[in-house]
Amino acid sequence: MEAKEIIFYLLAALTLGSGLLAVTARKIFRAAIFLLFSLIGIAGFYFWLQYEFIAAVQIVVYVGGIVVLIIFSIFLTQQAGTDLPNPPLRRIIFSALAALFGLIFSWMLISQHPFKPGAESPVAVSVANIGSMMLNVNDTGYALPFELVSILLLAAMVGCIVIAIKSRTETAN
Amino acid sequence: MWSLSSITDIVQTWLGSTFNPTIALLLQFVMAGLLVITLFAVLGLVLVFMERKVSAYMQVRIGPNRVGPRGYLQTAADTLKLLMKEGLVPAGADKFLFNLAPYVVMISAMLLMAPIAFAKDFQMWDLNIGVLYVSSVSSIAVIGILMAGWSSNNKYSLLGAMRSGAQIVSYELSAGLSIISIVILVGSLKISDIIASQQDGWWIFKGHIPAIIAFVIFLIAVTAETNRAPFDLAEAESELTAGFHTEYSGMRFALFFLAEYANIFIVCAIGATLFLGGWMPFHIGNLQAFNHIMDYIPSSIWFFGKTFFLIFVIMWFRWTFPRLRIDQLLNLEWKYLLPISMFNVLLVTIMAIMKWHF
Amino acid sequence: MEQIGLQHILFVSISLFFIGVYGFLTRRNLITMLMSVELILNSVNLNFIAFNKYLWAGRLDGVFFAIFIIAIAACEAAVAIAIIINLYRSHKSIDVESAAEMKY
Repeated sequence: MEAKEIIFYLLAALTLGSGLLAVTARKIFRAAIFLLFSLIGIAGFYFWLQYEFIAAVQIVVYVGGIVVLIIFSIFLTQQAGTDLPNPPLRRIIFSALAALFGLIFSWMLISQHPFKPGAESPVAVSVANIGSMMLNVNDTGYALPFELVSILLLAAMVGCIVIAIKSRTETAN
Repeated sequence: MWSLSSITDIVQTWLGSTFNPTIALLLQFVMAGLLVITLFAVLGLVLVFMERKVSAYMQVRIGPNRVGPRGYLQTAADTLKLLMKEGLVPAGADKFLFNLAPYVVMISAMLLMAPIAFAKDFQMWDLNIGVLYVSSVSSIAVIGILMAGWSSNNKYSLLGAMRSGAQIVSYELSAGLSIISIVILVGSLKISDIIASQQDGWWIFKGHIPAIIAFVIFLIAVTAETNRAPFDLAEAESELTAGFHTEYSGMRFALFFLAEYANIFIVCAIGATLFLGGWMPFHIGNLQAFNHIMDYIPSSIWFFGKTFFLIFVIMWFRWTFPRLRIDQLLNLEWKYLLPISMFNVLLVTIMAIMKWHF
Repeated sequence: MEQIGLQHILFVSISLFFIGVYGFLTRRNLITMLMSVELILNSVNLNFIAFNKYLWAGRLDGVFFAIFIIAIAACEAAVAIAIIINLYRSHKSIDVESAAEMKY
C-alpha cells in the first residue's frame, strides 16, 4: 500500500465514523464536535485531491463560522449535563432502513455507470484562475452567480438581524 | 552561505536512497513532528521567562532570580511543578471533551507551524495558499476553547468561553483584512512569494501609509485573537477567576498555557513574514557595502529577531493599557477597526492598480 | 488492491449523504437536524469536487459549484440559527414537536 491510499482510508474512516457519531450521539455538544471532525475530514479530502483553495474555504466557513454558530446556539438553548431523549425504536428502524435502501440503490447505480474522463488537459486550480473566472462575464464566467450570491448573503444578514432582534415592547416587559 | 537547506537536502537524499517512498515519507512526518514538539517546548520555556523578565522590567522589579544563574531555570522548575501536579476532572464534567479540549488547541497551533518559513529555504510545506491556510487553521483553536468552557460544567468557564469565542471570531475579520491588503500588493498567497517580493524592501516601508495602518490593525487584532491583555477578557482574573481554564490543572493546564505562547509566536511570525520581510535582511537602496554586511547575518537570525521584537511589543501592550470591558471590546472591533480596515483594503487596491508602491 | 479512483470517493460521499438523511429522520431537535443538513450539503460538495478532479479536469465548474454551495450553506445556517433562537424565546424549547400550533 502506498502512503496515498493509507491517507485516503484514514480520512474516510475519520469522516464517516465521526459523521455517524454526529447523528447518533446523545449529548448535543458532543454531536457538534463530531460534526466538526467530519467537516475537517472533508477538508482533508480536498487537500488529498490537491484542491487546497477549496479546503481552506471549507475550514474558514464551516469550522470558523458554522460550527461556532451551532456551538453558540447550543450554549444559548441547552442545559449542560442533560442528554437528548432517545428516538423511538420504530423511527430508528424505519429511518435506518430508508437510509440503507437509498445507499444500496445509489451504490448499485454508481458501480454500474461507466465514468468517462473528459479529454481536456487539466488546468491548475490556482487562486488566480478561480478569481479571473469568478469575475468573467463571458459564457464560461461566473460573474452573475457571484453577484447573486452576494445579494443572497446580504439578504441573509438582514434577515438574521430582523428575526433575532428583540422588539422594543418585548424588552420593556 | 549560512544555509539550513544543505542539511535538509542531505537528510532528504539519504532517506530517499535508503528506504522506499512510503517509509521515507513517514519518517519525514515523524522528524517534522519531533522538531515541532521540540520547538514548542523551547518556545514555552523561553517565552514564559521573557514574559516575566519583561513585566519585571516594566514595573522596575528584578523578576525571577533565584532558580539557576540569574533565574534562567525558573520556567524549567515551573514546568516540572506543573507536570507533578494532579490533573483534576470536576464532578459533572463531560470527561471526553474535557480531556480533548487542550489537545485541540495544541494541535491547531502545531498545524500552523507548517507554512512558516524559519530561514532561507527552510520551510515544511510551501503550499500555494499559505496565508489563507494560516487564517483558516487558526480558527480551529476557538473550538477547543469553547469545548473547554462547556465541558468544565462551571459558569465562569462558560462565560469566559463565550466571551473568548465572540472576541476571536470578530477580531479574525480585521486580522484577515489586514493580511489581505498585503496579499493584494504581492499578488500571491504563497509565503515564499510574499518573502521574495520583499527583496528590495519590506512592505511596511514599500507600502506607504496603508501598509502601516494594516500593520497596526494586524497587531491589535492578533493581540485580541491570542487573548492577551488588554484584551484578556476570556480569563479576566478579577471577574471570572480564570475564564475557560478555571477547572484545568496539572498537565492539561500546562498544554493550554503552552498553546497560548505558541500562538503568540505564530502570529508574530506571520506578522514578521508579511510586513517585515520574513528572513529577508534589511537592505537600503543602493548602499552596496551596507547591504553586503547585512547579508552576512544568517537568515534565521533575521527571522527570529523580527519575531521576538513583535513578541516584545505585544508584551509591552500588556503593561501599558488597562483591560477593556466586553462591550468596549466589541465596539472597538465592529465600529472602528472593521470600517477602517475595509477602507484601507480599498486604498491598497487603488495603490496596487496605480503601481504607487515602490 | 485497485487504484483509488472516482468510485471510492463517491462511495464515501453517498455514505455521508445517507448518514445525514438518517440523522435528519431520527432527530427531533432543531440544532441536530441542522447538523444533519450540513452533512448532506458537504457530501454533495465532495461529489462536485471529485467529478471535477477525475472527469472534467480541464474546467473549473465543479469548483465553482462547491464554492457557491458553501456560501449558500453559510447563509442557510445563519438564518436557521436566528430562527432557532427566536423559537427558543417563544416556546422555551427547540424540539420540532413543541412548535405544533399550526398543525391542525
